[in-house]
Amino acid sequence: MTDFLQLTAAGLSQGSVYALLAVGLIATYTVRHVVNIAQGDYAMLAGLGTISLLSAGLPLPIAILIALISVTLASVLIERVVIARVKNLTTLVSIILTLGVSTLLQAIMLLVWGAEGRRVPAFPGDDLLIGGVSIRSQELWMLGTLVVVGGGILLFYEKTRWGKALRASAEQPVAARIVGISPALASVIAFAIAGLAGAAAGVVSSPIYLSIWSGGLLLGLKGFVAAVLGGLVSFRAAIVGALLLGVLESYVAGYVASGWKDGVAFVILIVVLIIRPAGLMLRPSAVRV
Amino acid sequence: MHRAQRRLLIPAAVAASIALAFTGCSSSNFGGGGGDNGDGAAEEGPIKIGAVLDITGVGANLGVPEQNTLNMLSEQLNEDGGINGREVELIIKDNQSTEDGAAKATTELIENEQVDLIIGASRTGPSLAMRPLVEAAQLPTISIAANAAIVEGSEWVFKTAQNDVVVLERILDHAESQGYTKIALARDATGFGEGIADIITELGAERGITLTATEAFEPSATDFTAQMTNLRGADADAVIIWGITPSAGLAQAAYVQIGVGKPAYQSHGVANAAFFEAAGDAAEGAIAPMGRLLVADQLEEDDPQKEVIDEFIADYTEAFGNPPSSFAGHAYDAWKIGVAAIEEAGTDPEELRDAIEATSDFVGISGVFTMTPENHSGLTADALILAIAEGGRWNLHEE
Amino acid sequence: MSLLEKSSPAVRSKTGFWPNNRSTIIGVAILVIIVILVPFTASSTMMNIAVFSMIFALPAIGLSLLMGLAGQVSLGQAAFFAIGAYTHAILLQKFEMPGVVAATGGVVAAMLAALLVGLPMLRLRGHYLALATLGLGFIVMIAVREWEFTGRTTGIYGFGRPEVFGIPIDNNGLFFWYVAPFVIIGLVLALNLTRSRAGRALSAVNDSELAAESLGVNTYALRVKVFTLSAGFAGLGGVFYAYQVQIVSPQMAEFHVSVELLLMVVIGGLGSVWGAVAGAFIVELLSEGLRDVIPALIPGATGEVQLIGYGLVLVLVILLLPGGLYQAVQTIWAGIRRRTEARRTTAAAKAAAKTADGTADAGTGEPPTRAFGGVPGEPVVPQGAAPVEDEVEAVLNVPTVSTPLTAGEPILEVKGLTKRYGGVVAVDDVSFSVPAGRIMGLIGPNGAGKTTCFNMITGAITPTAGTVTFLGEEVQGRKPHVGAVRGLSRTFQNLQVFSSTDVLGNVYMGRYRKGRAGIIRGMLGLQGREQYRNEEIARDILDIMNLGDVATLPAGDLPFGRQRMMEVCRALASEPALLLLDEPMAGLSGRERDMLANLLRALRDAGLTIVLVEHDVAQVLALADSVAVLDDGVLIAHGDPESVRNDPAVIVAYLGTDAEEAKHELEELEEHA
Repeated sequence: MTDFLQLTAAGLSQGSVYALLAVGLIATYTVRHVVNIAQGDYAMLAGLGTISLLSAGLPLPIAILIALISVTLASVLIERVVIARVKNLTTLVSIILTLGVSTLLQAIMLLVWGAEGRRVPAFPGDDLLIGGVSIRSQELWMLGTLVVVGGGILLFYEKTRWGKALRASAEQPVAARIVGISPALASVIAFAIAGLAGAAAGVVSSPIYLSIWSGGLLLGLKGFVAAVLGGLVSFRAAIVGALLLGVLESYVAGYVASGWKDGVAFVILIVVLIIRPAGLMLRPSAVRV
Repeated sequence: MHRAQRRLLIPAAVAASIALAFTGCSSSNFGGGGGDNGDGAAEEGPIKIGAVLDITGVGANLGVPEQNTLNMLSEQLNEDGGINGREVELIIKDNQSTEDGAAKATTELIENEQVDLIIGASRTGPSLAMRPLVEAAQLPTISIAANAAIVEGSEWVFKTAQNDVVVLERILDHAESQGYTKIALARDATGFGEGIADIITELGAERGITLTATEAFEPSATDFTAQMTNLRGADADAVIIWGITPSAGLAQAAYVQIGVGKPAYQSHGVANAAFFEAAGDAAEGAIAPMGRLLVADQLEEDDPQKEVIDEFIADYTEAFGNPPSSFAGHAYDAWKIGVAAIEEAGTDPEELRDAIEATSDFVGISGVFTMTPENHSGLTADALILAIAEGGRWNLHEE
Repeated sequence: MSLLEKSSPAVRSKTGFWPNNRSTIIGVAILVIIVILVPFTASSTMMNIAVFSMIFALPAIGLSLLMGLAGQVSLGQAAFFAIGAYTHAILLQKFEMPGVVAATGGVVAAMLAALLVGLPMLRLRGHYLALATLGLGFIVMIAVREWEFTGRTTGIYGFGRPEVFGIPIDNNGLFFWYVAPFVIIGLVLALNLTRSRAGRALSAVNDSELAAESLGVNTYALRVKVFTLSAGFAGLGGVFYAYQVQIVSPQMAEFHVSVELLLMVVIGGLGSVWGAVAGAFIVELLSEGLRDVIPALIPGATGEVQLIGYGLVLVLVILLLPGGLYQAVQTIWAGIRRRTEARRTTAAAKAAAKTADGTADAGTGEPPTRAFGGVPGEPVVPQGAAPVEDEVEAVLNVPTVSTPLTAGEPILEVKGLTKRYGGVVAVDDVSFSVPAGRIMGLIGPNGAGKTTCFNMITGAITPTAGTVTFLGEEVQGRKPHVGAVRGLSRTFQNLQVFSSTDVLGNVYMGRYRKGRAGIIRGMLGLQGREQYRNEEIARDILDIMNLGDVATLPAGDLPFGRQRMMEVCRALASEPALLLLDEPMAGLSGRERDMLANLLRALRDAGLTIVLVEHDVAQVLALADSVAVLDDGVLIAHGDPESVRNDPAVIVAYLGTDAEEAKHELEELEEHA
């Protein structure tokens, strides 16, 4: 039982990272219909950036803040320089483009920070031991970040005028224009949100999972799997899906074989896509917005 | 604007670019392979030594110091006039820590470069991948990886890293002396960790030690919670973590963090400073068998290896600014053994192999080597000491 | 001119429409010569690159077919590459099978795997399919890594090199010659496929899936087949890779291999088979070169530094040169041609001026294209053709139609057809029957549900309730191709033109239902006769419909009205039993309307059943044998034109005022028309 709880705790914290990435992916997908393959690379970039800023002597909170802002800006820059330039953004083009961006980001990280994984030092706090279940303080930070950042984005979309318009703009560009958001601005905002969510995930998870140039792809894909569980439209469903995915992975690693851990997500992906492309959490009819 | 002509364009462009690209010198693209790769004839010109190393990828912690060592040694050798007056050309290939990369690199070395001797690879998996290739080409090869399977029954492959069996013997002897009866294992999922559980079961039986749980981890893994949770539940007296850095270091950290609270043994795969970077404070107290290199400053003055090791450390540190790891030592031994054999026997493959097999009482970094046709590893248990991680470095552990 | 030298088959190749064997043969011959020469001239490094580019050309060709032809992005091509290699290695190593059997096994295994995963996965669209294939790559990699049988992380090794007639293929030169024939054969097969019936259907699907399916193309089945074929190419590549490297390991299925393959296709030009081969060579060269160049430029750079080049190339090619190398070469060539043409034209003009003869260059017979300043698509009055009045009458020579039923029997029956979108009822319980050999008009105000009704009949939309029976078979809710293959053909209110081909190519696609050649016959090039015959028919129809002069123009360049006529031609080319026309008169000139009306009457007289959705009420009332009126999704009237015309409900529906006044206005309107 202790083991089960231990695995669950580890899975939830891992899932919180996927959840933030899923939120970012959905943000860009709903507005631009782009599945951003570079989403996970934002996380790695933010982690590595924080490490560099720390080694430059900045205190942790400032370093994190600068890293988050930089990656958010980088995401917007990518939108402006690459994505916005394409007039006819077909699925094929968007996939190849974001794949190219992802590859480019990875190569830059490899050249700047080298091949080895590095970590941001753990955030302040004491590890907990509850009934034999060891919980690192960092894991609490991760879950907390999900609540604050993920919840914040959710509130933005559901409570603010701009957020609502942005959601609507996916289907009806006119709706967004009414509150003064041009399609171009909507796209910028979406990529900014994606950058912020990815960066937050990367910084907060770096002390445990390390930041490494090549780590973003797999992370981003798992975020995508979570997003698919939410039908690529529902933030809430995606967050729940991400936590479930993390826990499930943890169980497979613990009870089946650790080597299969990374396979879980893709088996789920294929099965869900085939059985219920509309996502697990939604009634099929609710998807057609 | 005929489509007909337009269609011709792509093939024409392909043709032009290929033709341009190939206007190099002609060469023997049909040479190499088979039993006779023509190197026996090359009694003039430089002697070619090829190396296949894990310079990038998960084995980079091993391959980079190995590459440094070989570069340094080949420069030294050529400054001193080469081998019997002939220059030595060192060709290093990066296998990117992959098996197929190693096979590709080996094929290139054999077929294109027609080398006289190959050193490598850094890890067991790539070394195993190279073995059939060099055997088919009948080319003497010295691996610098650990698993005994690399040389077992091979006519052409040698290795300089300590045998995993010997390492495990040292660990289990120590465990027995501490009164441990149950051991759990977390091992590298690649070639380096394969077969380890069987060896422990076998060797443990003689010592009254049973293996209660085995977990595997990828060398690229960063999260070890699941494995360590299982090990915690295995109720063992001690745990062996068998891997290379950084993964073995990260596993050590996870092991301590999750609160297993039992002593941990590590393998000779962590005999470098990178272990401490990966494991942090959690490294403290880990025990690992390894060569004498990392504890050179603590050796007895009359230790037979001390002179060789001290000189190597001095040279390497001067050249690269940081002290060498055990893996650098494996490369050093392979190079020195290979060069000595070429000096004696020349580059005829069979004679060269026989000369390597005749290596006797060669004092190297990892130990004192005595090869025979049956023993292509050449080290005994004496080559190993037990080291304990203390204060961010490895210290000689008094047993 | 209007006949386009129909009698001379040699002219056909000028259009580039049919397999142009001459250029393919020359291209392949050049390639063969290169292949023979390369091992004698290349440096050893180059030789190494050449061998691997040949090996990777195979999966790249496969991926090119999948992406260019089927329009599907696969990020998991490496999975099939690995499956082929592993199967090959296992059969050689563990079962000691002969090389040929093992290699065949490798290819078959890859294809089987693709079929198995393709069946469910190809129902997915767009991003989902791409990411599902990506996931597949990971699953394959993990599976072979974790399975004892596949040698776990180390993989399978020690099976050696192949032997051919007792000669061991144990060096790069021989190996190059060993792979090259397979690449060349693969290339030719793939080229054939792109020009075959199936290939043209797939490219039509990329232009307009709805239109292609409405012509009888079973998109899903074709996609599954191409996916499987593509995996076969990948599997063969894997077999050679295993032979060359002499080990198969899980890294083969890794994502970066799929990315490299994708890069090859993108660089070469999406959909260009030659481009895929060129792309394979460029990427191998790039990877080798970048690994040397980047560490020199950036000190201390180690690892997969070639990635920076890959990333840049992917982004830049897509942004600046979406057609890849193929497009670049074409653009350059077009530039050269234009310059030489210009020179020739000036020269010719000078010569003409000198001789004052004016007949210079009349023999080239080039169709007018934009490059020559001709106004595209404007009906060129054919020299010596009949005057306009006669032309309208001349349409008596009607295309073949199929008449499975005798006139008057119900060919199409619609019962209780209903479509709801959430709370909105677009079509509410509509029932009617269409007798064979008659023209039925379906009219109604804007938003009355006419097109929705139409789309449900043709299978483009699944009805919420109700049945559609065509020739005795229920077709509702099934894909459009189900009805289409039985003889239900349609046009579209919003034009669905296959813009990647010319006008003739569009009409030729209409013949799809009448063709039979499948993928294998297409690849082997064994369908020439069928294609020529169908081309002939397509040309005839264009001539009948007065579109013969624009047959070789890109379909998208035509003016709107002529595009509409072209769609009618396309629908007619399928020899339909039932023709559904969605607002065919919209955008047509008065003369074209008259011509179309005459044609429709002639077709009806030949036995064709026609259903007409039309805005132009007067036209419908004049043309149709019976008329159905929809208002707000409800069928408010159905009968002969006369009774419908006088139906007060209809008048109210149209004009929303009181019946008497409306009738008056309607009559006025009619007179006006």
